Amino acid sequence: MQNKSKNFDVIVIGGGVAGLSTALQLGRRGVKTLVVDRGALGSGSTGRAAGLLGQLRGSIAATSMLMDGVKIVQDLEAQCQCEIFVQTGSLRIAETTERAGEIRDLVAMGKSIQFPIETLDAKQVAELLPYMKTDDLLDACYCPTDGHLQPAELTSAYIKAGRQAGVEYKTNCRVDSILNEKGKITGVQTEQGISHSPIVVNAAGPWSYLTAGSGDVILPTASIGHYYLTTRPDPEQTVDRKSPAVRDRHHRIYSRPESGGLIVGMYEAEPVEYDMERLPDDFDMSLMKVARDDFNAALLIHAAQQRFPWINERTPMTLTTGIMTFTPDGKPFCGKMDNLEGLFHCTGFSGHGIVQSPVVGVIMADLILDGSTKYDIEAMEADRYYELPGFQTRSEIKSKCAAMYGSYYGRVERPEILSDSE
Amino acid sequence: MKILVTCKRVPDPDQKIRLQADSREIDSENLPYILNPFDAIAVEESLRIRETHGEPVEIVAIGIGVEECDKTLRTALAMGADRAVLIPWDSFLDPWNVSGILEKIIQRENPSLVLMGKQAVDGDSNQTGQMLAARLGWAQATFASRIEFQSGGKLKVERETDSGIETLGLNLPAIITADLRLNEPRYASLPSIMKARKKPIERIETSELGWAPDPKVEIINMSMPQTSRKKVRLTDISDLVARIKEALKTN
Ligand SMILES: Cc1cc2nc3c(=O)[nH]c(=O)nc-3n(C[C@H](O)[C@H](O)[C@H](O)COP(=O)(O)OP(=O)(O)OC[C@H]3O[C@@H](n4cnc5c(N)ncnc54)[C@H](O)[C@@H]3O)c2cc1C
Repeated sequence: MQNKSKNFDVIVIGGGVAGLSTALQLGRRGVKTLVVDRGALGSGSTGRAAGLLGQLRGSIAATSMLMDGVKIVQDLEAQCQCEIFVQTGSLRIAETTERAGEIRDLVAMGKSIQFPIETLDAKQVAELLPYMKTDDLLDACYCPTDGHLQPAELTSAYIKAGRQAGVEYKTNCRVDSILNEKGKITGVQTEQGISHSPIVVNAAGPWSYLTAGSGDVILPTASIGHYYLTTRPDPEQTVDRKSPAVRDRHHRIYSRPESGGLIVGMYEAEPVEYDMERLPDDFDMSLMKVARDDFNAALLIHAAQQRFPWINERTPMTLTTGIMTFTPDGKPFCGKMDNLEGLFHCTGFSGHGIVQSPVVGVIMADLILDGSTKYDIEAMEADRYYELPGFQTRSEIKSKCAAMYGSYYGRVERPEILSDSE
Repeated sequence: MKILVTCKRVPDPDQKIRLQADSREIDSENLPYILNPFDAIAVEESLRIRETHGEPVEIVAIGIGVEECDKTLRTALAMGADRAVLIPWDSFLDPWNVSGILEKIIQRENPSLVLMGKQAVDGDSNQTGQMLAARLGWAQATFASRIEFQSGGKLKVERETDSGIETLGLNLPAIITADLRLNEPRYASLPSIMKARKKPIERIETSELGWAPDPKVEIINMSMPQTSRKKVRLTDISDLVARIKEALKTN
């Protein structure tokens, strides 16, 4: 493989869902694109994700992006002959009056934009999810069009469709720095040589603050550990393939079916933080292992047991841990900053990159080729913390991102449109 | 009843292993270490015995090695062992010497059952349990996949062999080494992790045990396995079939 000083229109650093989706959409628009990854494609956060898709978010902009994403995924399924989206429906449940308030707001918001959503009582929930504890529920809502995207299927579809669109991929090749001349991007320096392009997309996931740093750009993302468990199929607790996903913000957990068992993940209040620069050069996220006495794993199992009483530390299960990329406000960074012409960022998906990626690819291609997009991306613009005091040093950034992760399920939410109207 | 469980600290076998310049030791920098997976199975089995055994059972976890073995023993304590003993030692020990130290500890602790992993996943020796049984003159069952207590201090143990399951009857005291299918180890619960922080880890020097090293095995050299796999992109299924046929012919 010699493309020592080959020229491309766009070089994408990082072959996770963000980079792959961006490359696919660029390829479809006739752009000569190269994706470079330090490991295998999909070997970062993407390879660890659960893929939960809850389309109803706090804002109309975010909600409609996720809904459009499903359409893009359905086209990909047809093109690649695979199943990516599993429509299981999803439930939000409330066991406190505060959380019940959240659910009322959510239903009101959903109805106002014709998003399919209905309120359920505890008895109806028990019928839908016989394996879940429901006697303490005050309220619940059900979104029948939600579900999950299977991350591995999505990744291979992006690559397959990308190849058909002419995208080139280079794996096991780390980018050491972003090159520029007089503030204009000229390419990347990889461990195997230089590749030239006037545009570089930083889609390096948890490593993206380092990639940005190599071009002297401060990117306020932090790399944060996340855990979920997957129970093995148990004839006494059958979890149907189409059983709805659950979000229980009070206990900070979510769940979804997986191969006859159940995935339960947790947004704990005090997550594990990682400094990517301290990990070995050949660190491989897929090899991360959870010790038998891992504290966060114990927290997760404990929380899972509150909602699914048959789960305990002796349940046959696999514990998965990986690293996510969080931002101070939980919204991604998509676009450019003022200081380097030709450098675009596409990162910081704060635990939702799988489901955001289909539309994000379109948005990135729009921004790179047209300079604008039809989507309302105000909340995710890459320069929103540019030179903003309090968001410039690693320690400030890390503590703000970790706090965001910690409050992710903890805080009580009000959707934007409802709070705006008050 | 007292059960002694051995707990070895080993490099996580799924990680990329590198060698030190002299090729006699692996490079431990940045390498995550874990409780030997077969020892974790032994710990789990001791917990299950305690949960189902009529009379009180005390579980003692034993580690031999560097200071960091402390953490490995904490794992066993968090899973539920009652106390732990660490015998500090900071260089290579062959199975003969490990079994020698264990013999001394056993003389001190007087357990009626010793549960061990069938082997440690770093050295893969699969000798320590057997040597220990020979030194003590105790009954032994290796590669256990099922352990059942019977009346009068007798044990029924099923062990996995290449030709099927072999069932053994044993009298206590006995040494049993655990195979993969004996059980699936638990994760430590939150209260159990908290409790483990307060449990004692006793340190006993080899000199106190009256043991002196008697090396039988020396590591002369280690080398990385050769993995020069060639990859080619195939055009379609018939191409794949043709290549498989070709490979079958040449091998
Ligand atoms: C345990 C866990 C559960 C999750 N659950 C969900 C979920 O339910 N739903 C959801 O939507 N999301 C979920 N996520 C989040 C999701 O995985 C991420 O948001 C998403 O994968 C981000 O994709 P990415 O392409 O930005 O990053 P990554 O997938 O991490 O891709 C970045 C790539 O860049 C490469 N790279 C880094 N540095 C360099 C360099 N210098 N040179 C070359 N290549 C480089 C890496 O090798 C990597 O492949 C979860 C994440 C984790 C860890």
